[in-house]
Amino acid sequence: MNFEVNGSKIFYTIHTGIPVLGDFPITETLVVSWIVMLIITLLCIFLTRNLQVEHISKRQAIAEMIYEAAHNLVRSNTGGTRFDWLIPLVSAIFATSIVSNLICLVGLRSPTADLSTEAAWAVVVFIIITACKIKAGGIGGYLKGFTQPIPVLTPFNILSEFSTPVSMACRHFGNILSGIVIDGLIYAALAIASSALFGLIPGVVGDVLSQIPILSVGIPAILGVYFDWFTGCMQAFIFSMLTIMYIANAAEG
Amino acid sequence: MGTQELVGIVPWTFVAQICNLFIQLWLIKKFLFKPISEVLEKRQKMTDDELKGAREAKEKADAMKKEYENSLSNAQAEAANIVSSAQKEAISKADKIVKDAEDQAAQVKARAEADIEQEKKKAINEAKDTIGGLAMDIAGKVVEKEINENDHKKLIDEFINNVGEAS
Repeated sequence: MNFEVNGSKIFYTIHTGIPVLGDFPITETLVVSWIVMLIITLLCIFLTRNLQVEHISKRQAIAEMIYEAAHNLVRSNTGGTRFDWLIPLVSAIFATSIVSNLICLVGLRSPTADLSTEAAWAVVVFIIITACKIKAGGIGGYLKGFTQPIPVLTPFNILSEFSTPVSMACRHFGNILSGIVIDGLIYAALAIASSALFGLIPGVVGDVLSQIPILSVGIPAILGVYFDWFTGCMQAFIFSMLTIMYIANAAEG
Repeated sequence: MGTQELVGIVPWTFVAQICNLFIQLWLIKKFLFKPISEVLEKRQKMTDDELKGAREAKEKADAMKKEYENSLSNAQAEAANIVSSAQKEAISKADKIVKDAEDQAAQVKARAEADIEQEKKKAINEAKDTIGGLAMDIAGKVVEKEINENDHKKLIDEFINNVGEAS
């Protein structure tokens, strides 16, 4: 039995002829990303429908709770309201990440199982980090920061600077991909196990039952609690936390 | 339908995801953060207004309370004044009444004393006369001798005076 994990499917390729970027493939990643964005936006609209100042509904209470939680997370980790401009970005990353991670539960391929997605986010965060560092210490201070504490460490400092987005992207991607790989492995293993188990039954009944992966029902759902739910929520949280931390540190100079 | 590499960055997907992130950011801002922050601001404003109103009402009530206390203490002072002046008046009136009564009593006493004195004198005189007549009668009977009326009188007076002095 062969088991393989593929990259996201390419539905359609638009020939652009632009040298570096190449052709524009409409991949599963992009399509599911749009679905994720649609879900988040519809949820936002649903939650903020018919807002009241007094006698709020449960829906509004949830919306306000999310709003407060986002503000508290950013403010408590940066100390003060200086980074309030960061809140929508962190919220967008967190919401997109968590919905993307959990959308694999309905059978779609997570957009976060494509390194391009995390790389895009990480590069955005990296650009903001760099901008904050330059703003805090000036372009000279930023460049001088690489030679600290001694000039010999300059290459390592540069390496560590660029490892930030790489590690952020790869950590998230690796966790989600590993979830997919493990899910696939479990399904394959359970199919083999079920075929072997029910193949023991003699006659036609055994032949028929061994073709159906009966053990695949239920057991993967239990394992999915960890590999899909927990990892999905955890990675979204970690990515958001790192975004806040790195930017707050950068702005302090 | 092909598949892309499992681990790799597709430039267009990368660019599209950056755009998607910012579109998502804008959407979340527009549909979640803006309306919620507006409502929260409105609520904050309402709370502030109510607090302000309550504070103003309290100040007003305090001022009114002070005013009432002032007027109450004024009234109390006035009442005390009235009472004390009434007391003074009453005391002076009582004093006057008592004095009047005393005066009157003194007068009555004096008059009574004068009356008594007069009555006494009168009684003494009457007694003198009676005793004098009696003495004359007795003496006349004793000496069987008519004495001149005047000498007689003189004698009696002498006798009575002696009696009065001796008594």
